[in-house]
Amino acid sequence: MAVDRTFRSAEELKEGLSEQQYIANDEISTILYLAQQIGKPLLAEGPAGVGKTELAKALAAATCRDLIRLQCYEGLDETKALYEWEYAKQLLYTQLLRDKLQETLSSSETLKDAADRLANEEDVFFSMRFLLQRPLLKAILSETPTVLLIDEIDRADAEFEAFLLEVLSDFQVSVPELGTLSAVHRPLVILTSNNTRELSEALKRRCLYLFIDYPTIDQELNVVRLKVPDLSPKLARQAVELVHKLRSFDLRKSPSISETLDWAKALVTLNAHNLDQSTLETTLSVLLKHEADLQKAKRMLFSPTNKRPGDYDMRSWQN
Amino acid sequence: MDQRIVQFVAALRANGVRISLAETADAFHGVESLGISDRDMFRYTLRATLVKENKDQPIFEKLFPLFFQGDEPPRMTNPEQDLTPEEADKIAEALKQFTDDIRKMLEKLMQGRPLNQNELAQLDQMMNINEVTDLRYQNYLTRQMEQALKFRQVQQALEELMAMLRQMGMDKQRVEQLQKMMEANQQALKDQLSRHVGQKIAENMSEHQHADRMDDLYNRPFASLSDDEMHQLRREVTRIAAVLRTRLALRLKRAKTGRLDVKSTLRNNQKYGSVPLELHHRDQKLKPKIVVICDISTSMRQISELMLSLLFAIQDQISKTQAFAFIDHIKYISPYFEGQQPQDAVRAILQQMPSGYYNTDLGASLVDFDERYLDMVDSHTTLIMVGDARNNYNDPRLETFRLIARRSRSAIWLNPEAIPLWGTGDSDMPKYAPLCNRIFQVSNLSQLSEAVDRLLLGR
Repeated sequence: MAVDRTFRSAEELKEGLSEQQYIANDEISTILYLAQQIGKPLLAEGPAGVGKTELAKALAAATCRDLIRLQCYEGLDETKALYEWEYAKQLLYTQLLRDKLQETLSSSETLKDAADRLANEEDVFFSMRFLLQRPLLKAILSETPTVLLIDEIDRADAEFEAFLLEVLSDFQVSVPELGTLSAVHRPLVILTSNNTRELSEALKRRCLYLFIDYPTIDQELNVVRLKVPDLSPKLARQAVELVHKLRSFDLRKSPSISETLDWAKALVTLNAHNLDQSTLETTLSVLLKHEADLQKAKRMLFSPTNKRPGDYDMRSWQN
Repeated sequence: MDQRIVQFVAALRANGVRISLAETADAFHGVESLGISDRDMFRYTLRATLVKENKDQPIFEKLFPLFFQGDEPPRMTNPEQDLTPEEADKIAEALKQFTDDIRKMLEKLMQGRPLNQNELAQLDQMMNINEVTDLRYQNYLTRQMEQALKFRQVQQALEELMAMLRQMGMDKQRVEQLQKMMEANQQALKDQLSRHVGQKIAENMSEHQHADRMDDLYNRPFASLSDDEMHQLRREVTRIAAVLRTRLALRLKRAKTGRLDVKSTLRNNQKYGSVPLELHHRDQKLKPKIVVICDISTSMRQISELMLSLLFAIQDQISKTQAFAFIDHIKYISPYFEGQQPQDAVRAILQQMPSGYYNTDLGASLVDFDERYLDMVDSHTTLIMVGDARNNYNDPRLETFRLIARRSRSAIWLNPEAIPLWGTGDSDMPKYAPLCNRIFQVSNLSQLSEAVDRLLLGR
């Protein structure tokens, strides 16, 4: 694996990201660079599907670091996030090592002596061998520098957030049986949140804050051109403009960048040449996932004010 | 520069952005490592380290240019430079007829000189600007200063001057050009004033600390809140909600060890040869289900809104909240809260139910509820009534309320009126009271948050 790469300026980081096919604006690259410089976790907030997770992946690739991902969900706790003792393995080992244990203990005369001897062997069973490393511990113990992605932190419970604070503030974990384990390399930490609930102030205080919004038409067009190069430039622009139009409607779920990309791919696969009504009708469900949204969008896009209902003119609803 | 950043932080705080000492330190670290040469980079650095809420970003964007615009003078052109001596003479001649101060201003515009520090200081004193700590006065004060500098008269004089020059036989195009440039200079002066006023106010804000205002607001009765204060309280509600949520979450976690679940324990321990290594417990279903019925007539709006905001902000600690609002009929309002901030939702609801006078009818609303939504109340549900129980002498429909209350796990009433007033006039509170399990008098935010805390903790 290639050596870890640190960037010397925000522009360099921006270029590094674009090599990984991630188009970052100045704000994103500056704040990311800042996070690297002052060693703070970065909290990225924004609507679903604007590329928050993608950002972490691109960063990992650009810095040649391993990406360790912790996906949060309701009910996530320390045993799933940090570490767990592997009971089954411990049990299996005690079974298999029974003879050896017997041997060790047989020469002892008193019960106390036997217990002492057993206690001496204790750390065999509570060693790293039986420690099941979950993402957080993995990131701390990793021999090589890593990028730690804590995805959708707003889905985890409030108490998990509190626990996370301890880990993020000094990157060390105390395992009672082993003592304190501290980080070999400080990982670059990126937290993402879809803002479904308010995060605690304590957590926010410890992070840099980055709000990623939907991109502008030109930015999104760049992304589409980069990721779906087969789509003709004219159609790509029309498609992106339509998506932006959809976002301006009051929908339950606005189409995200990833959905734009899916749609662009669909248009390529279907060999579409222009966005006429029939193409839209068949493919709009790639963008809009709620039936109500779909109906609404169709109503607003195919309104009777269009003069030629069959061939549908883009300009008519652009202004 | 350091001093400037500290002032900026103080001004942000004065505008309700919560910034800790650690975050200020982060900002300094960030600025140290990225430098201040690139203005955008500097702005991103401060924003990422100081502002952690998306809704606070507009405040940041508004204040930032006021603090870090730099004091460079406004861009003005100097039309006098390329005047021919003849033209200059003509102008000097024409200027003579104006009074002193107008002529001075016209000359200023002609030479493209910005207002200097002295002049600005004089204006500041005239306007008493050091007392002002609210950016909404920026436009007003700017206009006042323009008046003090007689901008309108100057504008008029400018027209006259141009007419005169034309009469004196100066080239038409040249006159027009001159006029355009002078008008542009006047605009630049206006911008300078506006920016100066903004900066001054921002500085005042940072010096003016009002830490205890919030405490005061907590204990102010809802009825006496101004729109502005209500706005501040709305922001506070999210904070209270965060605190409440942590408490509730901790309690749920501690309470998780319910009774031993034998079936699940046996099943899950088969992999250990049925040695019970992992114990499984039944989850105690402690998350409450809530049906809340809010009076949103004019007098009850503030408390209803704050209550709804609070409930929907701690949604993840409640298994289900069904919200209803009434004035003279009941309306199911939970759908409004999907994917919308509570205050926006409440605003949308209020638009749907405009309040009139003297049309509150709790009795009819209860009957309405009974007929259409009774199935939402079951033995796990906590019923919360928010309102003053003033019924306009309509039938209180006690039987209906008794029925709804008995179906629920418990019925709770939040009444913002002072206790001695209950039962006076058209208040039916004493009649409803015996049918409720608990009654809270909540007339301010601290009482409201305490009530919600207690009813969710079940104490």
